[in-house]
Amino acid sequence: MNLLLTDEEKMLRHTAREFLEAECPTTLVRAMETDPLGYPPALWRKTAELGWQGMALPETYGGQDLPLVYLGIIMQEVGRAVAPLPLLGTVVAALTIASDATPAQREAILPGVVRGDTVLTWAFTEQDPRFRPDTVQTRAVVDGDHLVINGTKLFVDHFTAADHCLVACRTAAGSGHAGLSLVLVDTKAPGISTTPLVTLAKDKQCAVVFDDVRVPRANVIGRLGEGGPIVERMLDRATVLLCAQMLGATRKDAEMAIDYSKYRVAFGQPIGALQSIQHICADMIVWIDGGELLTYEALWKMDQGLPAGIEVSQAKAFCNEKCEAVVRFSQMIHGGIGFMMEFDLHLWFRRVSAWAMRLGTSYEHRARIAHALIDSPGTVVLGRPVPVVVAV
Amino acid sequence: MDFGFTPEQEALRREVRDFIAEHLTAEIVEELEGLTEGFGVSRSVGRGPLVSRLFDEIAKRGWLGISYPKEYGGQDGDRITQYIVEEEFARVGIAVGLAGSGAPAILAAGTEEQKRAFIPKLISGEYSFALGFTEPQAGADLASLQCRAVRDGDDYVINGQKMYTSAAHTATHVYLMARTDTAVPKHQGISIFLVPMDTPGLTVRPLWTIQNEPRAPLGTTYGAYRTNETFFDDVRVPKTTLLGKENEGWGVGSMGLNLDRVGAARYLISVRRDEDIVNWVKTNRFDGYSPADDPAIRDKIAELWIEAQVCRLMTMRSMSIVEHGGHFTYEGAAEKIWAPEHGVRTSEAITQMLGPYGQLLNGSPYAVEKGIFAHNLMGAFQSGINHGSVQVMRDQVARRGLGLPSARRAGRPEAGR
Repeated sequence: MNLLLTDEEKMLRHTAREFLEAECPTTLVRAMETDPLGYPPALWRKTAELGWQGMALPETYGGQDLPLVYLGIIMQEVGRAVAPLPLLGTVVAALTIASDATPAQREAILPGVVRGDTVLTWAFTEQDPRFRPDTVQTRAVVDGDHLVINGTKLFVDHFTAADHCLVACRTAAGSGHAGLSLVLVDTKAPGISTTPLVTLAKDKQCAVVFDDVRVPRANVIGRLGEGGPIVERMLDRATVLLCAQMLGATRKDAEMAIDYSKYRVAFGQPIGALQSIQHICADMIVWIDGGELLTYEALWKMDQGLPAGIEVSQAKAFCNEKCEAVVRFSQMIHGGIGFMMEFDLHLWFRRVSAWAMRLGTSYEHRARIAHALIDSPGTVVLGRPVPVVVAV
Repeated sequence: MDFGFTPEQEALRREVRDFIAEHLTAEIVEELEGLTEGFGVSRSVGRGPLVSRLFDEIAKRGWLGISYPKEYGGQDGDRITQYIVEEEFARVGIAVGLAGSGAPAILAAGTEEQKRAFIPKLISGEYSFALGFTEPQAGADLASLQCRAVRDGDDYVINGQKMYTSAAHTATHVYLMARTDTAVPKHQGISIFLVPMDTPGLTVRPLWTIQNEPRAPLGTTYGAYRTNETFFDDVRVPKTTLLGKENEGWGVGSMGLNLDRVGAARYLISVRRDEDIVNWVKTNRFDGYSPADDPAIRDKIAELWIEAQVCRLMTMRSMSIVEHGGHFTYEGAAEKIWAPEHGVRTSEAITQMLGPYGQLLNGSPYAVEKGIFAHNLMGAFQSGINHGSVQVMRDQVARRGLGLPSARRAGRPEAGR
């Protein structure tokens, strides 16, 4: 047991930070908010050269086969720089393909991801905003060698920039996990139309309508109608990596407030000498540390092949509330300057706030934890695994 | 990062659990709960015959002083293994570790003679310390302490008063912080002494707390500890009782406090009620009402559970720093903010879940879990006050951890008096 970063992990973080500080200034972040593509392809290729896209992918396909903990460190740095990259969607879809797809499917997709030629995304949420599988209504009906997809997905990241999208569909009647399938869809396939959403983070999310979209049956990930557990693993990975991204952004945001309080003078002294400010700063750091510990424990458990769903929900429920509180306090410490458009702080505030709303609310994640704690037989002991209860 | 334990450590954990299941009999629990004055459930201050025998069994297995050097009576083991043993025993309200014992500071700052004199006997339980830090006018602002130690030949003569000297009536020694120089800034004139409690001129008077209800059940936060005030009237001790160098006691004492904060006991006293309330909610029904079905209770329980995990993880982080040779900047203080405040939040939330049952003390008809939740409500917040209040801890995080400047203060006394 050692919760401190190893020298190698520190080096990875250091390298990633230096790279993004040089390559991803806030002018670029701002430019991408109004850019039609929404990410800079040149930067995307450079991150591939650094091995980020393939970091946790198998060596067979050009990846580095490193633990998810390493990917978490990268996502934190991406969050710190609020780098406008389609990395989260790409790695989450790629990890799902690596763990659950056939060798042929992997061979078709993963090498391109590792090289930085391919952008991926995934689509789950529909009209019903709840973060649970029974909200999936999009139908995929078998028609010979094809599936025909009909439905609407919302809040899909970087769909127009992506080459492929993993789409959660219902291939048989049922609720919850029953009858769910995950299907690899070419984003340029006929019958797909998109509508951009205008978001707080000014990122590239859209609504995607599937109107009789024909997809080869060979594009199903796993067995037809048995995609529930695959989708659940995908969402858990996405959620915990989003936590890492949020925490990276939140820590940077807090550091800006702490630095500001050291030189902003009021009443004849830096406001950082006032205990009312100091104690808020102390809480900010304690909360961020807490979120990091929860997040890395979840990632570590995944790396060990242990159940980690409860740990993921612990991290996201905590980060949703604490990261939001940190960026709010950071705005407060900055006073009026904090909400000036020309001052950069809002770049972090808007993103962290938006990320807290995605991939499960605090209420939903706590409901999942409560279900495991309360609706399972036997007694619970802190530090021992909570009994696994099948998702409802 | 590695959040796991080795197979050997996991095996030891099972062994300790099995030992506890076998040896912590109803009779021993009854003996522990029957001792109403300062039993403090450790080897040195829990002198019932069954408890003494229990500690002999624990010692026989080499579970005391695991991480201390063999030459001083320890096992040369690692701190994480020590932690596992502490954690399992702390879970059932028994302190086997040496956190808060003075041993870490003696090992770090003591003379060879002091190490040989104290550490083996602290491990065996023959010796124990009461902490003599706080004074009537010096609590959070500890460095303002006024208890004086004046050099007289080869001796020091001590005069003053210490507050909240918990277990001083059963301890063999007091770990005393006293002023040895009044002419220098207050932090620079302080020294530490290891004073035998039987030294003439030293008297102890009990201070009863609201946690010391005679029937406080085992596991009540601080319910077990009798605290005291201790008076020093011309207490003469040889200069060999000085720990570290004269006037460098602030550094020694701060380090001791940091080490004292690390360990299983402090986080477990803050989180044990979380397990209890989950298990209670799972199994209790009242006519047609089941708390397990109440969405508000379910949400709150999950929230508390997450907070408890953060307590556990912050303790593991501190253990990692101790074991892997790092040094603390603010991490110990962070843990000391989060865990006690969680303990308060959980105690208060639980009383809301229990409603009127929450007020029933041990021995009352209809009391829930021996009234532990009510007893604990009286004790939980103490953890956020003693050994550096959560406000003082926030100062430390802000100033040491984040480099924020010290506040200007009006009329701040520069010397110690």
